[in-house]
Amino acid sequence: MSLEMFTYPFLFIAIFFESFVLVTLLSSPARAARARRAGATTLSVAVIVPCWNEAATVAATCDSLLALDYPSDKLEVILVDDGSTDATPAAMSRFAGHPQVRIIHKENGGKHTALNAGIALTSAEIIGCLDADSFVEPGALREIVPCFADENVAAVTAAMSVHKPKNILQHMQNAEYLFGITFRHAFASVNGLYVTPGPFSFYRHAVIQEIGNFRSGHQTEDMEMALRIQQAGYKIENAPHARVYTKSPRTVSKLLAQRTRWTVGFLRNILGEYRGLIGSRAHGVLGMLVLPLALTAVASGILIFSLMLFEIVRNIITMFEVRAGIPLSYTLLPHSSFSWFYLPASFYLLLGVTILLASLSLIVVGKYISKTPGNLALGLISYTFLYGLIAPLWLLRATADVALGKHRRWRH
Amino acid sequence: MSLVTRNVLLALLITFALVGTIAYAVNYLNDARIAELGAIEDQISIDTLSLDTQFSLLEAAPCDIAASSTGLIGTLTDLGTRLAYAESQLGTDNPQVLRLKQQYSLLEIRDYLITKQLAAACGTKPVTVLYFYSNAGDCADCDKAGYALSYLHDTYPSLRVYSFDYNLDLGALKTFIAITKVEGPLPAFVINGKRSYGFTSLADLEKQFPKGALATTTDTTL
Repeated sequence: MSLEMFTYPFLFIAIFFESFVLVTLLSSPARAARARRAGATTLSVAVIVPCWNEAATVAATCDSLLALDYPSDKLEVILVDDGSTDATPAAMSRFAGHPQVRIIHKENGGKHTALNAGIALTSAEIIGCLDADSFVEPGALREIVPCFADENVAAVTAAMSVHKPKNILQHMQNAEYLFGITFRHAFASVNGLYVTPGPFSFYRHAVIQEIGNFRSGHQTEDMEMALRIQQAGYKIENAPHARVYTKSPRTVSKLLAQRTRWTVGFLRNILGEYRGLIGSRAHGVLGMLVLPLALTAVASGILIFSLMLFEIVRNIITMFEVRAGIPLSYTLLPHSSFSWFYLPASFYLLLGVTILLASLSLIVVGKYISKTPGNLALGLISYTFLYGLIAPLWLLRATADVALGKHRRWRH
Repeated sequence: MSLVTRNVLLALLITFALVGTIAYAVNYLNDARIAELGAIEDQISIDTLSLDTQFSLLEAAPCDIAASSTGLIGTLTDLGTRLAYAESQLGTDNPQVLRLKQQYSLLEIRDYLITKQLAAACGTKPVTVLYFYSNAGDCADCDKAGYALSYLHDTYPSLRVYSFDYNLDLGALKTFIAITKVEGPLPAFVINGKRSYGFTSLADLEKQFPKGALATTTDTTL
């Protein structure tokens, strides 16, 4: 039996996942969410910006918040310096006299403590978070607030993409983020979200008071809070037109560190405190479909990558063994004629190509839904050729960390 | 039925449709490959009849260069390459592949015999290699030997290489093996009637050839 056979169930599940996203996108709740107009509703809003050594970007982040199209008497910005050791306090001091901005300096305690310090300071009805390396479009908040019209909605996420991608790795991440916009929008329409990302997610203050403040959540406080909201039976919505841009890692090592943290956080939360959500009929799509699929995605990413690596290494060894002693002038040249007959259209390959084409289509859909500006060509190319090689690395590392109980230090 | 249940069922339907379409496309392509092999096989049958006619004509006419060239070896090589690829795609135990391999082996034996007859009639000395391999997992060096022979054939076009699956269930091949007295271990070679077994390196294989046999001349004489 070919090793490829082991991957067929996972490839089938991947096609099912993409088909489900597509069908859900075309269903009435998602259509209604896309048709939702930025409203005149103006609930009081406080946006907390937790900062730890963010001197380079915090001012621009704050400027983008102050430029939001929202009544100034209804919007406050809370900058929380979480014991930075760089020039972050000085960068914040520029906003010291601003009537909409409040600044907190506290001892370093972690991102969740910074968020909680901000929450303690405000009585706003809606509390937002914005990472200090992210920037919002002026109309974003007016897209977010109407989502809270449903009393059962406890949180709302935005449409996140990469801020000015420069190198090929950042373009790859931008494509991935656009894919995220698509499935976040689709899954929100059936209440299947399990993370409220740091860049511009909003929470109903009353719900936070009910279920409690942010926790460390294995260094993924946004995921832990989202899971807690779902566990409490509330909804997490998505505003697909609320555009927010975030800085992304520029090197593979930084990207691996970031994604390992996210994946470890996911695994530890899901397999730990929130294990009960998996397979829970009471939690609908999230319990029966999204979480099992997300866990399967981790396993399949590792399995398919490992098998692919094994096959490649085995083929290379065989190739060298078979060609040993034959002149390079012969071995380096192709010898079969170019003919359709030799088209390597195996079942495995065509399944892979189908999944890739569907992914690329959903990336384009994400850009279209959110109306995110920018050229996508480089993103699609880099996603095609790089993502499958890099993503399994963080999946492997995260799974190993969880299995071995290893804890890596992040920012503090 | 809830919206989610309906979406799950629709997604499953789409998934089965896509997977089914892919399976159909792969099967269609494999059938087309078989059909293509069949077409080449038909052409070779015509070539074989042509060979017989050529040989009859040679008995009544002086041997000359143009008439004594079979021209079949190139087509045989092409068919062999395609057959090997089809075998890798469809499996070594695919009935259609096995049938084509049997026909291919018969054509090889026929070409080999006619080549020998033409050589005797015309007094030429072609260099022929009978190569016996196995893909039953009992021949660790067969891939290396096959690649080395491909290199030799491509480098020395006058070389006539005939490859046979030692385990193929074909009466004519079993007789051929008995006549050539090849027993094992594999890979086995019969180079201009001289048997050798095993493969170590290209250089060692080249030493098995008659002196001066490996010349970079084109296939103009037999």
